[in-house]
Amino acid sequence: MAGGKQNKLSREEELLLQDFSRNVSTKSSALFYGNAFIVSAIPMWLFWRIHQMDLYQSAVFFVIGTIISTYLVAFAYKNVKFILKHKIALKREDAVAREMMKKLADDKRMTKKEKDERVLWKKNEVADYEATTFSIFYNNALYLVLLIVASFFILKNFNPVFNYSLSVGSAAGLLALFSTSSKA
Amino acid sequence: MTSIVQALLAVSLVLLPVSIYGDTCLAPQVKSQSYSTPEAIVSFDTVLIVEFSLTCKNNLKNVNLYADVAGRTIPATRIGEPNKYQISITDEPKKLPSGAYEIRFFDEEGFALLRKAQRSGESTSSLKPLFTITLNHPGIWSGPLIQSEFVAAMTAIIVWWMAYTQRGKLLA
Repeated sequence: MAGGKQNKLSREEELLLQDFSRNVSTKSSALFYGNAFIVSAIPMWLFWRIHQMDLYQSAVFFVIGTIISTYLVAFAYKNVKFILKHKIALKREDAVAREMMKKLADDKRMTKKEKDERVLWKKNEVADYEATTFSIFYNNALYLVLLIVASFFILKNFNPVFNYSLSVGSAAGLLALFSTSSKA
Repeated sequence: MTSIVQALLAVSLVLLPVSIYGDTCLAPQVKSQSYSTPEAIVSFDTVLIVEFSLTCKNNLKNVNLYADVAGRTIPATRIGEPNKYQISITDEPKKLPSGAYEIRFFDEEGFALLRKAQRSGESTSSLKPLFTITLNHPGIWSGPLIQSEFVAAMTAIIVWWMAYTQRGKLLA
């Protein structure tokens, strides 16, 4: 009995910890890195087909650029998600609680504590999902804006290798930098 | 010795007009092909090229020809086969606007008259050319009004703006 209670408490604690930590689950980490890789690989196509860089000759630059950019973009995803998650949790709290209570209303066996726990868990899940997807969308949009503006307008007269390194580097770097700001 | 040279000179002087007269191309027939720069994206200058072959009734070959077009006088270059010529004009696109260019061709004799008229500042339009070729230059295309990268940038900015306002709402 005592063990069960311990478990329940630790689970609640876990949820709270998860709610406030910057760490992301393996699943969402994989999602972040996968997405970051895709969005970082897009410039390769741009510089290969539009800026006429040779795919094989510049492979070294492309690989290094993509790896660095993947890391920075994933970093930005995580930061933005962390900031958003709390706000979204607060915004969706009432709606989630209402829905969960409606769902669990018939269940007489469940204690109030258990219900609260369910609500907390659901809230966490909803906020996590929304923050993850929105963070990916927002950062991708910003990354592509920075990349296009840098490569086509600011650095258009430089040679492609320089243009690639600097535009991918600055787009990913600025994205990571912006993601660390805690303001809206 | 000197008298022989003098005599030869005199004879050649007498024969010169006759030989020049014999060099006039009679009833010239011209087959021409022309090219003009269609766009200004990859080219700085507009170029007009006319290639033509000339056939004379009196079977004259390799006559020296001069072209008079838009106030410029240029010699026609003989290319490859006999009686095949080419002329080309290159200038900034502004100075070669679209339209029909009437290119007037003169032989040596006509060219001398043309130069004379030009020197004395007279109008050259009254001179009768050997033949004329009309080149139609449809004008140059200087690329789309909006560059594709601009469209791409605008689209990206609009999408980002939507994301940004949405983020603002979530964080508010």
